[in-house]
Amino acid sequence: MEVLETIFNVSLISATLRTTAPILLVALGGTFTTKAGIFNIGLEGQMLIGAFFAVLGSIWTQSAWGGVAIGVLAAMCVALTFSIFVVTLRANEVVVGLALNILAGGLTITLTKAIFGTRGSIVSGDIVGLPRMHIPIVEDLGSLGKALGSFTPLIYLAFIFVFVVWVIIYRTRLGLHIRVAGEKPAAAESLGIPTGLMQHIASLLCGLFAGLAGAHLSLGYITMFAENMSSGRGFMAVAVLIFSIGDPVKVLFGCLLFGFADALSLRLQTFGLSSYLVLTVPYLVTLGALFLLTYRQRPKTLRETAESLQLIRREKA
Amino acid sequence: MAFAVEMIGVSKNFGPVAANRDVSFGVRHGEIHALVGENGAGKTTLMNILFGLMQPDSGEIQIDGKPVVMESPRTSIGLGLGMVHQHFKLVPSLTVAENIFLGMEITKAGLVDHKAQSAKARALSEEFGLQIDPDRKIHELSVGAEQRVEILKVLARGANVVILDEPTAVLTPQESRDLFRIIRRFADAGMTVIFISHHLSEVLEVSDTVTVLRDGAVVGTRPTKELDEDSLVNMMVGREVNFDRRDRKPISGHAILELRDVFARDDRGLPALRGIDLEVRSGEIVGIVGVDGNGQTELSEVVSGLRAPSHGEIFLNGQAVEGSDPRHMRAAGLAHVPANRLVRGVNATANISANILMGRQRSEPWAKNGLIRWSAVRDLARELMQRFDIRARDENVTVKTLSGGNMQKVVVAREFSQHMPLILIDQPTRGVDIGAMEGIHDEIIQRRDAGAAILLISVQIDEILALADRVFVMFAGSIAGAVDPENTTEEEIGYLMAGGSRSSDQAA
Repeated sequence: MEVLETIFNVSLISATLRTTAPILLVALGGTFTTKAGIFNIGLEGQMLIGAFFAVLGSIWTQSAWGGVAIGVLAAMCVALTFSIFVVTLRANEVVVGLALNILAGGLTITLTKAIFGTRGSIVSGDIVGLPRMHIPIVEDLGSLGKALGSFTPLIYLAFIFVFVVWVIIYRTRLGLHIRVAGEKPAAAESLGIPTGLMQHIASLLCGLFAGLAGAHLSLGYITMFAENMSSGRGFMAVAVLIFSIGDPVKVLFGCLLFGFADALSLRLQTFGLSSYLVLTVPYLVTLGALFLLTYRQRPKTLRETAESLQLIRREKA
Repeated sequence: MAFAVEMIGVSKNFGPVAANRDVSFGVRHGEIHALVGENGAGKTTLMNILFGLMQPDSGEIQIDGKPVVMESPRTSIGLGLGMVHQHFKLVPSLTVAENIFLGMEITKAGLVDHKAQSAKARALSEEFGLQIDPDRKIHELSVGAEQRVEILKVLARGANVVILDEPTAVLTPQESRDLFRIIRRFADAGMTVIFISHHLSEVLEVSDTVTVLRDGAVVGTRPTKELDEDSLVNMMVGREVNFDRRDRKPISGHAILELRDVFARDDRGLPALRGIDLEVRSGEIVGIVGVDGNGQTELSEVVSGLRAPSHGEIFLNGQAVEGSDPRHMRAAGLAHVPANRLVRGVNATANISANILMGRQRSEPWAKNGLIRWSAVRDLARELMQRFDIRARDENVTVKTLSGGNMQKVVVAREFSQHMPLILIDQPTRGVDIGAMEGIHDEIIQRRDAGAAILLISVQIDEILALADRVFVMFAGSIAGAVDPENTTEEEIGYLMAGGSRSSDQAA
């Protein structure tokens, strides 16, 4: 019991929210491309580029928000490259996405070496990290309040963006046109809605969010850039997007699940469990989620059989 | 008075093929103008040019006497034209109102105002007598309702010239009649309707003026009241066509195909066939009619082994066959002309010989010791091309370059020449011109007279009535009733197609 209490406490909740935020940000970006009918496997690379250039920008401008802006801009450049290949030149989206992911990995390493002369990571006192917010009213609400009242701003924004993205997708003309471009391009074109433009816009919006996610990684809790520091979060986001068909609310719950698994594995590490074993937790959760999703389909087959039998009986009578 | 729409000397070529040749015709204000012609006569191309979806190579378009250039659908919509396409362009996950106002949304504070859109859609539907619930999602609607949404889309954009491309192809006779009432109402209100069709009876029934196209050129424009079915067919094909009932011989054969209490589900897992009992005997043609989507597709898939029945038994040649294996069904004696030749009928990128070979590749003399003997295949292909009048330079021509009719004849030739006891034919003449249609009908009769059992599925009621010895109407996955092809009426079939059933005359 005591062990459980030490694992499942307030700081696990706050850790969950913290680890959810980057996946959520990048996945929210992916909702736009998913709705626009593009399978965007390139989230990982956009995020990594965002993280790298955020650090660079932070040093250049000596401002955390300047870093965020430059990180976002860089990620959007990658996103635009992606959509030019996929939408304008009609290249295969998986091939282009993977190519850009590989490029992002290599480019950040090369530039690290070229600019800082180091390998692996950029650690410097010149990097200005994002400030922690202090929301007094929330902080006064006991220990939970303390944990929730002092995140970096991008974490709050990530959760606020769920609602913002939902409104954009389901309530604005832009969102409607993006959805139509993805679901029924022929309908869009017959009414003069430019599907290509919609897909470019969706991709750019995706880049914006992926850049924010990257900036959060490198300027949020730790202020450094490390080789491949996105470490698969972009792919987790892709998995969430497949389950959720790009619905922002379902995306939120999917990301919370991954965030929780991540946070849990971090907690378990401190208990001296084998770190190799512990690091499998997020993947086990993924498998579990997949299993549950397909398991839900099973009763449907059973239900159908029952329906058939009923039908036969009724028609016989 | 100037024409509402006039096309003057319009020509359009696709490579060496002339789709439209020097087409000139005018449509008056407030009339229903039918554009008639065989498949491939250039009707749709012409309308795509008028609507700005394609650019003509030469010629001029005038609206209300003023020359215009239709750069894109935007231009034509701006000039008051609206087109209801043959294949609907609706977004299934959106509501009726959202689809109607797509691209011209009513917004409030930057957000789409669903309430206002819904109210406006309702007002519009009441004004023109097009019954529809604006808040339903498109995927919940019937085909007829989807078409009403398409028409409302056009009206909401302020169209006063409505172009309808083959509007009745997907409708029941009753739904078609409703549609005719609606377009008559448009004309009475001073709107202009251009109506593309190749159903002669409905053209004569509904239009004021008819323009006939043949091989991309205008044969003539005449007031409908000066025309009858014979003269119209003559204009369309340039010769007499026999559409009368084919001779029928008494049925004496034994049962080749038997379905007993067959149930099946569609791709979404919903019940598609509910207790089908059917028998097809040697030397007879059994016809199945029904509005698309009432189980005909699944019936054809179950019989051809492409879909496993969830319940029931199938006997082919007296032996029980397990469904869901096309090779097994073919070995047991099935030949199959599928509904969609491009999906299941041919390998469009291969040549005629290779397509003729399919299904024979394991048997002599077409293959020996695991190798294909192409010389034998080519000989067969040449022979079949002659017998089935497949028009192509030679047997090495790639199938995708053939016209729809010739492509279908490749499928028919391959299947019919296997001399199987059972032939399943799904939509034998979809997208096939009248000349080729007649040839295919002759071959079907010939196979029947040679003793084959033929199961014929078609959305073309005329075709079924002309060929079949017994006719069943399908509705909602069941056989709604049998009709006598000699004496039935369109009303009787339409009644059954729309789900009515009669307690008498249910005998299968």
